[in-house]
Amino acid sequence: MVMDFEFRKQVMDYHQGSDVIKYCYQCSRCTDNCPVSYVTDDLYQYEYNPRANILAALLGHKESIFSADPIAIWGCTVCDTCDEVCPQNIELTEIFTFLKNQSIENGEGPDFIYQQARAIFDYGKAIPSQSGVERRRESMGLPEIMKPDVDEFQSMLKNMGIDGKLKEEGD
Amino acid sequence: MTEFKMFEGCTIANRIPFIEASTRLVFEKLGIETSEAPFTCCPDPTGFKSFDDDGWLAIGARNLCLAEEESKDIISLCNGCTNTLRGVQHQLEHDSIKKNHVNEELSKIGKEYNGSIDVRHFVDVLKKDIGLDKIKSAISNSLDGLKVACHPGCHYMRPHEWMETDDDPMRPTTLKELAAVTGATVVDYEEEELCCGSAVSNAYEKVGLQNLKRKLDSVKKAGADVIIVNCPACFQQFDTQQRMLKREFDEDYDIPVLYLTELYAIAMGADPKDIGLRYHRQRIRDIPQLGV
Repeated sequence: MVMDFEFRKQVMDYHQGSDVIKYCYQCSRCTDNCPVSYVTDDLYQYEYNPRANILAALLGHKESIFSADPIAIWGCTVCDTCDEVCPQNIELTEIFTFLKNQSIENGEGPDFIYQQARAIFDYGKAIPSQSGVERRRESMGLPEIMKPDVDEFQSMLKNMGIDGKLKEEGD
Repeated sequence: MTEFKMFEGCTIANRIPFIEASTRLVFEKLGIETSEAPFTCCPDPTGFKSFDDDGWLAIGARNLCLAEEESKDIISLCNGCTNTLRGVQHQLEHDSIKKNHVNEELSKIGKEYNGSIDVRHFVDVLKKDIGLDKIKSAISNSLDGLKVACHPGCHYMRPHEWMETDDDPMRPTTLKELAAVTGATVVDYEEEELCCGSAVSNAYEKVGLQNLKRKLDSVKKAGADVIIVNCPACFQQFDTQQRMLKREFDEDYDIPVLYLTELYAIAMGADPKDIGLRYHRQRIRDIPQLGV
């Protein structure tokens, strides 16, 4: 298996203090407590296995991570349970965020993630306002939602190059 | 009490606004004052953060700037929004490289993040600022005999470094204490701290349903009449997905879901019609304590 040293360095440098990942001794408390591992476990052959992801990230096995079925990364439901049970205080979910961001760079994320990012970029809201819901708000005596400054918001995202990662419908 | 900036979040504001109606009613009864601000999406800690983490930080920091401009703390009605805004605060406070980078981007749109305000989950405000005694004195309609199962949801208390609740992140009790004030009976169940599975459902529906089944099997076994939540993502998962469980596993649960503020509104004498209980997908019927 090829070790990608640059990838390994990116994992270690993700936050100040992210290099605690090297203290992982593969005890598997993360996987044992992971709700997704629990329901995708077929005699210890997990479709989603946080312990294995941490090991691969630590060893710089970039290719094995990104050539697997995307559920190996995107099965994470972001419940932060692994972070709490890790005896070494490794912020696993942050490492998994890095892996997901890399998967997006490769254009391989789930449709939902692209759809939500598109809505946020276009409207400033993950769920844009709809006339039916606005009428219901009014009928229940709720105030109008203040409109965000979408132009200013989009200019910030464009400066950061985030628009370049979005997909168009049907991409 | 000082006025908060209301962060209702995309899901409550633009999909299930009846939750906001009960919340505003309860806030008025308890003297929690709020005002609006032109916030964008928080953005979603289980969605957009996975798309672009730097963008998540910058968008979250921009929202915090809007509250900082008015020197007001934020009150959030949603676990996800609270998680994002508190997580952004935490990371910018502890990572000067990230903070400089975010402020560089914010300066181009004429803003600067200082970290001068606090972000509060409404459950935390109810417990610490209002207190159980004051809530109890506002209750006119005891829900005696109603059996409730509490689901505080992951991002109310995890990761604990960000959320800083008084709860043990794997054994939370605050929501149970708050629900018990209404006179309802809180039933314990085995999978209390298990995630609702909302995030994984968005990418892998079947996995999400298998997880939800595990959760609801446990709630059903405990004999609960309703599930109490304080997060719109969990609310949606429990309220809209039970019929999918019927299709997938031929399993009937028929357990209604109430937001904590809906439970409170009814216990404080509100008419179920005025807070839109009829808009729930999971029908609420034959529960005399709830007036239906």
